[in-house]
Amino acid sequence: MNLFRSEEHIDRWLGLRCPGATMPVTTLSALAHAWWGDRLSPQWKPHSRQQNQAILDRLGLAGDFWQLP
Amino acid sequence: MSPADIALRNETYRAFVVLGRAPSADEVAAATESTAAEVHEGWRRLHDEHALVLNTAGTEIRMANPFSAVPTAYRVRASDRWWYANCAWDAFGICASLQSNGRIEASCPDCGEPLAIAVEDEQPDESSLLFHCLLPARRWWDDIVFT
Repeated sequence: MNLFRSEEHIDRWLGLRCPGATMPVTTLSALAHAWWGDRLSPQWKPHSRQQNQAILDRLGLAGDFWQLP
Repeated sequence: MSPADIALRNETYRAFVVLGRAPSADEVAAATESTAAEVHEGWRRLHDEHALVLNTAGTEIRMANPFSAVPTAYRVRASDRWWYANCAWDAFGICASLQSNGRIEASCPDCGEPLAIAVEDEQPDESSLLFHCLLPARRWWDDIVFT
């Protein structure tokens, strides 16, 4: 799970490997804040699969690639 | 996850942030009036439930996601301290969990060019960068250190 300068850099880094999924860094920041924002709360409770899937769905991260187990 | 394990997990995270590093089992045991063996047993259960990640020996914290207990390619300045993140996602996650603005330092894995991103009010100041996730979500926990 890495940050790259551009699509060209991702393609070169991948080489012959199958590409995964790419998103703008702005989407990543929104994802991280929704995913980890409660991590240090004294009232923290484990996220359910449904809660985490809803975070991905809200950001348009849909399809088989983003389906949590 | 039992209330006791949630309490152990919360104390482990609290200690990580206070110390700026992963706490030892002895340190957590002292804070929770338990024994190091009991902490290790609880950490193992939390590891199995993906609430934290132990090292391969199962004795020390490797990840208290989004924080890394070992140096990585993603450094984050937030809440007046430098932290290591497990990946790019977690680098933003450190700002999120600390509810802090921050600065992320990394390098492009392809060319090695340094990358520096300021995060203010949850927004990165550099919008042209791209995040790539190699593995599908169903495989993230097959090997979370690789992921």
